[in-house]
Amino acid sequence: MALRAAVLRHIRVPVQTLGLKSNPRAPSGSIRLMSSHDDHLSKEEVADRVLSVVKSFPKVDPSRVTPEVHFQKDLGLDSLDSVEIVMALEEEFKLEIPDKEADKIDSCNLAIEYIHNHPLAS
Amino acid sequence: MATGAVAALRNMKVAGNSKSLEEARARVFDFFKLACRSLPSVMDIYNLDDVVTRSQLRSAIASQIRKNSHVTNTKVIDMLLFKGMEELGNIVEHHKQRHHIIGQYVLGKDGILQDLSPKDEGSSDFLKNFYSGNYF
Repeated sequence: MALRAAVLRHIRVPVQTLGLKSNPRAPSGSIRLMSSHDDHLSKEEVADRVLSVVKSFPKVDPSRVTPEVHFQKDLGLDSLDSVEIVMALEEEFKLEIPDKEADKIDSCNLAIEYIHNHPLAS
Repeated sequence: MATGAVAALRNMKVAGNSKSLEEARARVFDFFKLACRSLPSVMDIYNLDDVVTRSQLRSAIASQIRKNSHVTNTKVIDMLLFKGMEELGNIVEHHKQRHHIIGQYVLGKDGILQDLSPKDEGSSDFLKNFYSGNYF
């Protein structure tokens, strides 16, 4: 094992960067259809979808939902409800939010911020 | 996501006693998340897509948890969690049938009683209590 680690530490495989230029078939524009991780969401879209998820939550009065709203203080939800909303957001954006982050998300603002910054949100 | 949750269920070990109410609380939330993350595979297994939505099932799980929200004894919470985990394991491993899931989580406890026709209104309270008490 020690030998293996030592060898691995010193070996470097030269990696050639295959730029887009070397590939004549690559499209010139920045749009890559059917590629999964390129569809960065705009902040407005994230905000819209987050708000619609929160509004569709059965215990929430849709008219009171604004981007600044706090789940527990403003909407009268309990901690279980906010976990439920976070799970609904996970489903909507096809994410898996780790526990530490999920605990922090307690308002629409934070949720929008987190999802907007998440690379895999779609 | 779904397969990850199923694998997590497989590898689930019985945790030791919760030392504080906070720990037990955190465990309940973990369990809730695990249950929610296994919903896609559950809906696949039992063909639930045309009867219920995922968010309805999520609310059903939450209401089952909320039913015991008054419990403050950590040992009782651990026991309830264990039972919940067992139930979830049974569901995910297809040890139940479709009507079990529908009866229990889609219709809910009142479901069978709601479906009674008007002529059953005079039926005995004894039977009604029997149905509702025997339905778990």
